[in-house]
Amino acid sequence: MAMSAADDQLAVERVLGGDISAFEEIVRRWQSPLVNLAFRFCHDRGRAEEMAQEAFLRAYRNLKQWRKEAAFSTWLFALATNFYRSELRRIPVYVPIDDVREPTDPRAQDGGLEEEDRNRAVRRAVFALPEKYREALVLFYFHEMDVPAAARSLSLPEGTFKARLFRGREILRGKLPQLLAVARLKEA
Amino acid sequence: MSEEMMFEAMMSGVTTNSVGGKMNNDELDRILSRPDDIQPSSGFAASVMDAVRAEAAAPPPIPFPWTRALPVLLVAALALLAVAIAGIAAIVQISRQPAAPELAASWWSSALAPYTSGAVGTDLAWTAAALLAAFVSVRVSMRLASGKV
Repeated sequence: MAMSAADDQLAVERVLGGDISAFEEIVRRWQSPLVNLAFRFCHDRGRAEEMAQEAFLRAYRNLKQWRKEAAFSTWLFALATNFYRSELRRIPVYVPIDDVREPTDPRAQDGGLEEEDRNRAVRRAVFALPEKYREALVLFYFHEMDVPAAARSLSLPEGTFKARLFRGREILRGKLPQLLAVARLKEA
Repeated sequence: MSEEMMFEAMMSGVTTNSVGGKMNNDELDRILSRPDDIQPSSGFAASVMDAVRAEAAAPPPIPFPWTRALPVLLVAALALLAVAIAGIAAIVQISRQPAAPELAASWWSSALAPYTSGAVGTDLAWTAAALLAAFVSVRVSMRLASGKV
């Protein structure tokens, strides 16, 4: 995706100048990241799109509040993250941690199944984490392991974010063998 | 029970044997860095823009007409205060009078005196004035709401 901060700024200025159609450039540029961020929070495609749409609407309403001190994407992700978190507190997501789906790719059945199931179990285990650790893990991997970016999205000091990330991974690593044993028993 | 405690309790409830050792951070990073990413549906951007256009086309919220409402609110507050003071004064006056049944009866008879002594016409005039005031206030409110003032 070809993105540039200057393109974002230009589009924002056009929208603020009354050219609503310029907002479509912003939507097209950031729709995939925002939908995927929502999906990582809720694991439900329909709900992810609804949440992303509302996040874009909120961004449109509050466009004047972007101070241009940080990149537009930073502001947008922080706004979206804040909304997603409050939305999930309002209607919590339930992802059964032992619900391992059948593979859609038939090639996976002759060897890839076990690893794929394990990976899915790990991803689903993240949803069983306490909220603050789950958010830290989701944002850390969404921002491609960029701690400052993830901490900014959560409006947290980096130190606090790192502590939550460490604790979240500790819980996950410590309990995963038990979780994976359940997944394997279901396979048998 | 905190969320963390619930998680611990849920995990400790798994009684099967542990299989495999603890995952290291690299392995965890490898798995969690490649989630099942999705593509937004084809009409997503159009749907967002429809919502944005609807938002832009919606009239701005009507601000409350404080400059017009303030004098009315002030008068209403003063009237309320006057009624409250009169009410308190009446209660105080009643409480100072002896509570003998004959005196209470005489208070009631004095209160009802205008009705029994032919002063009903004056009260009807007051009632009419009150109704007129209510009618005028309703008309003024409706005109304020429609912005014709």
